[in-house]
Amino acid sequence: MTAGSQALVSVVSLTKIFNDRQRGREEIRAVDAVSFEAHAGEIFGLLGVNGAGKTTTLRLLATMLKPTSGEASVCGHSISKEPQAVRRRIGFMSTATSLYGRLSAKEMVTYFGRLNGMSREAIEQRILELFDLFGMNEFRDRRCDKLSTGMKQKVSIVRTVLHDPEVMIFDEPTVGLDVLTSRTIVDFVKDCRTRGKCVLFSTHIMEEMEKLCDRVGVIHDGKLLACEPVEALKSRTPSGRVEDAFVKLVGEPA
Amino acid sequence: MRLGAMFTARLRRNPMTRAVLSKFARGAQILAVSSTVFCKELVDVLRDRRTLIFMLVIPTVAIPVLMWVTSELMTHFMEKLAREQVDVLVLNPEAAPELVEEVKKRANPLGRARRVAELLKAKGVGESELAMTKGEPRAFLRLLEKKGIDPEELATELRVAVEDSDFKLEPGAIIQNAFPPNFRLVTELDPRDYDHPAEREQVLLEAVRTDEIAAAIEFADDALEKLASGDSTEIRVYYLDASDRSSTALSGLRRIFKSLGKQMVAERLLSKELPAGFANPVKVRPERLPGPGMLVKFLSQILPYMILIFAFMGAMYPAIDLGAGEKERGTLETLLVAPVSRLSIVLGKFGVILVAALVSAVLATISLSVSLYLGIFSTISLVSGGSFSFSIQEALVALLMIVPISGIFAALLLALSIFAKSFKEGQSYASPLQMVIIMPAFVSFVPGVKLDWLMASIPVVNVSLALKEIFTGNLDQHWAHVGVIFLSTSIFAGLLLWFATWWFQREQVLFRS
Repeated sequence: MTAGSQALVSVVSLTKIFNDRQRGREEIRAVDAVSFEAHAGEIFGLLGVNGAGKTTTLRLLATMLKPTSGEASVCGHSISKEPQAVRRRIGFMSTATSLYGRLSAKEMVTYFGRLNGMSREAIEQRILELFDLFGMNEFRDRRCDKLSTGMKQKVSIVRTVLHDPEVMIFDEPTVGLDVLTSRTIVDFVKDCRTRGKCVLFSTHIMEEMEKLCDRVGVIHDGKLLACEPVEALKSRTPSGRVEDAFVKLVGEPA
Repeated sequence: MRLGAMFTARLRRNPMTRAVLSKFARGAQILAVSSTVFCKELVDVLRDRRTLIFMLVIPTVAIPVLMWVTSELMTHFMEKLAREQVDVLVLNPEAAPELVEEVKKRANPLGRARRVAELLKAKGVGESELAMTKGEPRAFLRLLEKKGIDPEELATELRVAVEDSDFKLEPGAIIQNAFPPNFRLVTELDPRDYDHPAEREQVLLEAVRTDEIAAAIEFADDALEKLASGDSTEIRVYYLDASDRSSTALSGLRRIFKSLGKQMVAERLLSKELPAGFANPVKVRPERLPGPGMLVKFLSQILPYMILIFAFMGAMYPAIDLGAGEKERGTLETLLVAPVSRLSIVLGKFGVILVAALVSAVLATISLSVSLYLGIFSTISLVSGGSFSFSIQEALVALLMIVPISGIFAALLLALSIFAKSFKEGQSYASPLQMVIIMPAFVSFVPGVKLDWLMASIPVVNVSLALKEIFTGNLDQHWAHVGVIFLSTSIFAGLLLWFATWWFQREQVLFRS
């Protein structure tokens, strides 16, 4: 399967400024004039250290935050003018998107199907299909807070793809997970690409990015320092290692 | 048919109607989504033990249990106080030895008291019940009525049992004799030791403070002469306001001298061959009208307060759970990324909190009314007496009063809860708010405060007073107030809900760091 030429996500000098009250109303440019595009059938990685602006960028795209200036569109819908239409077309997953502990796995998924405007029959159909696929039938009626971390991740995945979105956004989905659980997620991310989805994936782990992403944007202090295929990034240093290229780009820590 | 179709087709093409139709469609969609949110949150909240306890268990179980315990404790201590013997100092017994004898006779008729109590016990009247009606002749009569005892018959039986000629047979006297002021007269301190009145007062004060004596009495030097000449004399009682024993002793001494005085008057009248009513020409005889009794008064005071508190408490936990709880458990982002409007989310959550408030308030009302009806609390039912009942109309209007004020609570709590980062933080915001609500709700206890236009304009106070009037049976005189309060409270609740929605869209609120 080849990468589609159509840009499903396009970001044009997106900027988000926070006012920090604790530091005397100092302006923090969490995202500073970031521009990039992501296409169907590719995994676009956002690489950066903690606090570089990855999460804010993805939250802006998921319309949880409103941009200070600049614009972005998802499947042709503006994030500032049509936030609901944007949210309908994305599946968003991060370590901060937990499950409702007092709902069962099936109730949890059904609820979000309903919120996505799906009919009860359609949800029932998708649940049969996806619970089979991920081997979740054994715990479908168990409360989410009684599930293991791996099971929870599976429920989260089903919650994310139930409405079959065209754009998938993963914000550091593997942080704090064990090898087996993060493997489930990594496999799933790859699977999304195979199905022709446009995938945005943020991480601070170099190997993970190298394994998964087709193109990568290096973000630091809110600015996008580079936006190129992984191979191009590697060739920036003689060693050919992503880590060296990254350090060279952001500059040695003072 | 065709004309009609053409008309609707034209109507559909009209931009105005299209705008209206799309508004309707959007409203319907918001309602549909918020009902989805509502159902889920309701399930979620009902599976939380903490919320269930606050919403269901506390109003139904805790109120009766708490009031029962208070009532039993009160009875216990009143009984204890009644049985306790306290010392009363007589400063100058030599001034009026006859009076001292009379006081002794009246102050310590323990044997007689025991016989009266035993007789009543045989008739099914417990000591605690008897203690409750002490000094309350009306309550005592109601107690007899409740136990099916005829007061006249009782009086005859008592006369035979006690064999005491000067034994008074009016109900109040029976009680006083069953639990008389239990004094022992002592004379250890000699006032002549102290020349200075101030010095003597100091010694007496010390004695009362250390519970050595409860009070002291002092006769005038010419007491006997005055009494003999048909005049009156003053008996000084030294007591301490702040001491329970001392004030009880004062009232006991008052009763003793009052009954002594009555006896003297009777003797004087007899010697002058005057009728017994000579010194007491006018008597008041209260005739209770068959209207709202004391129990209704009691209920109309306590119910508005209880309803408001329980509406707030019932709303508090779900509210914190549905706002701050989402942040704490990390489900807020999951919800925010769903393609629904923030308004539908707020409406759904608001609905659940409102329902919790109403359920809690209604349950509290029912449980309090039922326990009073069944007479669980000896204290309250005996002292108040009478019965109560609400018409369906009154109950419905009361519910209509509770709905918008619960809406205010729900919207306020939801806004606070959304702001809080954790359950704990949410609780620390809700507690001071609770104080702000409870204070004005207390107005239903303040006697003499009537529902007028000024009161009707103060939030919370107005609902508390409106409920009071409804429960007292005065709804007919207050329709205008009730209507205006309903409208203004609803508008206020609506504004707060609008605020909560706006608040729920602010990044600074949702993503506080």
